[in-house]
Amino acid sequence: MAGRTVVMRLNQQQLELIDRTIQRGEAADRVALIRKALREQAAKQSKSAAR
Amino acid sequence: MTDRNVLLEMVLEPGTGKALEMKAGLILRIEQIEGLQCVDFNCFNLHDYKEFMHCGRTRTVHGFHPTKGAFLWSAPPRERALMYILEDTVGRNDVLFPRCSAYVYESAYGFDAHTNCHDIQAEAQREYGLTPDDVHDSFNLFMYTEISRDGRATITRQDTKPGDHVDLLALVDVLAVPNVCGADVMRTSNFALKPIKLTLFEATDADLAAAPKTPILKSQRTPRDFRNPTIKTDRRLTRDSSYVAEFVNTPIRLEDVAIELSDEEAAMLDRLRLPVYEADDGAALRDILFTWWEQKFLGAAESGAPAIGDRKA
Repeated sequence: MAGRTVVMRLNQQQLELIDRTIQRGEAADRVALIRKALREQAAKQSKSAAR
Repeated sequence: MTDRNVLLEMVLEPGTGKALEMKAGLILRIEQIEGLQCVDFNCFNLHDYKEFMHCGRTRTVHGFHPTKGAFLWSAPPRERALMYILEDTVGRNDVLFPRCSAYVYESAYGFDAHTNCHDIQAEAQREYGLTPDDVHDSFNLFMYTEISRDGRATITRQDTKPGDHVDLLALVDVLAVPNVCGADVMRTSNFALKPIKLTLFEATDADLAAAPKTPILKSQRTPRDFRNPTIKTDRRLTRDSSYVAEFVNTPIRLEDVAIELSDEEAAMLDRLRLPVYEADDGAALRDILFTWWEQKFLGAAESGAPAIGDRKA
C-alpha cells in the first residue's frame, strides 16, 4: 500500500476544536493530531478485531 | 425518606391535574395509590413561563426512559436542569409520546369529548393564566413504551404497584403540573383510570447533596441575551422590515489541511474508511478524526450527543 497525501477540508469551527485540543496537550500541531487520531482509531479497530 | 418535612398531601382524581408552585429545594412525590396509572408531567420556570421542561432535550441527554439520576431539562436556548429525579421505584418513564389529545379520541374512537392529557394539562395550568397552546410534550411517568423494529413508538401495559413513586427535586423555582393520564381505552394505564397521590416535601440536606451540579455555561441564554426579548402578543406573523440576519459564525469558511500519510498510515485509512465516502480520502479521514474526538472526549459518543450530568448505566 503506497503512502499518499490527503487533503482534509475543514471549516473554522472544526479547526478551532482541533486547535483547542492541541492546546490541551494532545499533540504538537494539527497534522500530529490527525496522525494520532488515525493511529489510535486503527489500534482500537485491531484490538476489537482480535477479540 | 421519613425525615422530610411534608408541606402538602393531596389526591389527584382521575381526569384531573394540578399546578403546584415549587420553590427550589422542594420535592414532589408522584405516587401510585392503586398502581397501574400513567401520569403526565411538565413544569415551567415559575418566573418565566417561556422556559419549560423539554422532552427533546431530556431525551437527547438521558435516553427514552429517564429515571433516577436524570435531569429534566428546559429547551434551547435556556437548556437548564429544572428538576432532578431523586428517586424512582419503577424506572420506567417515557419521553417519546407527546401527550394524548382530544383529536386522538375523536379520530380513533369517535369521542369529541374524552379525558385526554393535553386538555387536562391545559385546564390545570389555566389556574396560572396559561393557554392550551402553552401545553408542551409531557414527561410520562410510569408509561411503558418501546420502539418497534419499524421505528414506531409503541405502548405496552405497566405493572406498577401501590406505593411506587417518583421523587422530583426542583432545582429552580418551578410551576409543576402533574396530571392523571386520561387514556382509559388504551394500554397506557392498563385500561382503567386510577387516582394518584401527590406529596410536597422540603428536601433534606442529604436530598440536596444527592443532586449532581450541572455546569453553568455562557450558552445557556436568557431573554437578557435575546435580540428580541419581548414576548410577541399578537397572533399574526408579519415581517420585520428592519431585520438583518445575524447567524452565528457565518459565513462558514473552509480551509484545506494536507497530511502526508506513510504506507502504514494509508493502509490504516483504507481499513477504517466508511463506504459512504467512496474515493474521497479527505472526507474519510475527517470522519476518523472527529469520531476519535467524540469517543475520547464526549460522554455518550455512541448517541452523537454529550451526556452532561447523565447517570451511569
